[in-house]
Amino acid sequence: MNATIENVKEVIEKADVLGDVANMQSDVALSEQGIDSLDIVNVYLLLEETFDIKIPDEDTAQLETIDDIINYINNQQN
Amino acid sequence: MLGIKEIATYLPNKRVSNYDKKEKFDLEDDFIENKIGVKSQGVKNEDEKASDLCVKAFENLMKKEEISKENIDCCIVVTQNPDYNIPHTAAIVHGKLELAQECACFDISLGCSGYVYGLSNIISFMQSNNLSNGLLFTSDPYSDIIDHEDKNTDLLFGDGASVTYITRDGEWIPKIFSFGTDGSNYKELLCEDKLYMNGRAVFSFTATTIPKHIQTLLADAKLEDDDIDKYILHQGSKYIVDTIRKRLRVDAGKVPFDMYDYGNTISSSIPIILEKEMNSSQNQRLVISGFGVGLSWGSAIIEKI
Repeated sequence: MNATIENVKEVIEKADVLGDVANMQSDVALSEQGIDSLDIVNVYLLLEETFDIKIPDEDTAQLETIDDIINYINNQQN
Repeated sequence: MLGIKEIATYLPNKRVSNYDKKEKFDLEDDFIENKIGVKSQGVKNEDEKASDLCVKAFENLMKKEEISKENIDCCIVVTQNPDYNIPHTAAIVHGKLELAQECACFDISLGCSGYVYGLSNIISFMQSNNLSNGLLFTSDPYSDIIDHEDKNTDLLFGDGASVTYITRDGEWIPKIFSFGTDGSNYKELLCEDKLYMNGRAVFSFTATTIPKHIQTLLADAKLEDDDIDKYILHQGSKYIVDTIRKRLRVDAGKVPFDMYDYGNTISSSIPIILEKEMNSSQNQRLVISGFGVGLSWGSAIIEKI
């Protein structure tokens, strides 16, 4: 399954984060949109489970925004 | 039948507030209260060791239960912060409590899964050796190994101890145990000089492994969620307890969260809650589940007779 803004936002929603996920901007860092350090590890886990990928710790620094996540997942799957 | 007769605990009076660390670690109140779930941590006196906390838990047990110390024939201490490398802390507790020379004593080196392992061990050992009155202590004073510059651990852990009194007329009987280990990830929670924790790895482990492990335990026991009154989970953090509960699809009211005012007390977290829950007339069957260092996990179903 390819990553899109919609299905990545669905994953973030599943993590029960505070804030309005539907209106999150895809090019702004998640940390600036109410996602804290515990939420983000849950988001990574849910991304791994949803898209059947592995996100090594060393790659997490490049996953700041929803756009970063979409590109990362689609590059892994291709 | 051997079972839990009584539990007593000890939490130090001294508290360190996480609200005082807001500036240092750039924290919001919501993070302290709803994510970490620790407003303040219990901290022992610097010169106190694991055995001292055990003795204080035992003193609290003596206030609740009439116990003849000369009849205690088994004494186990669960700790990974023993008083010394040699000897075992259980021997030191034995000496401080002036227990009988016929009393068997040994330590169990486990962290957050240690209470469940300890409960299985003490009952099996007492059964095999025809013993009658056992003390299972948990005491893991992490304040000695915390790196106070490390946000991952400095906000989380508190000191505490417990003692579980096992007798032949105990009222809470373990019905089934289940255990597991993932030693390939032992480095994710490690102490050489100071404690190191890979928070992401530990979270992923608990969120993926523990709900399935508990579901398998229930299936093996031919029980369903409706048959369980409470799930007493190791209090890793509020976020971890909430995540396991959501993945288990269990009502929030069935999963106590209790660590706001003392922190994650490692192997003592389950007995601290169990002490309260076992005296509630509404509870007849409980799941207890511990998980952490190792990576190691263990769960049990205990029933009131």
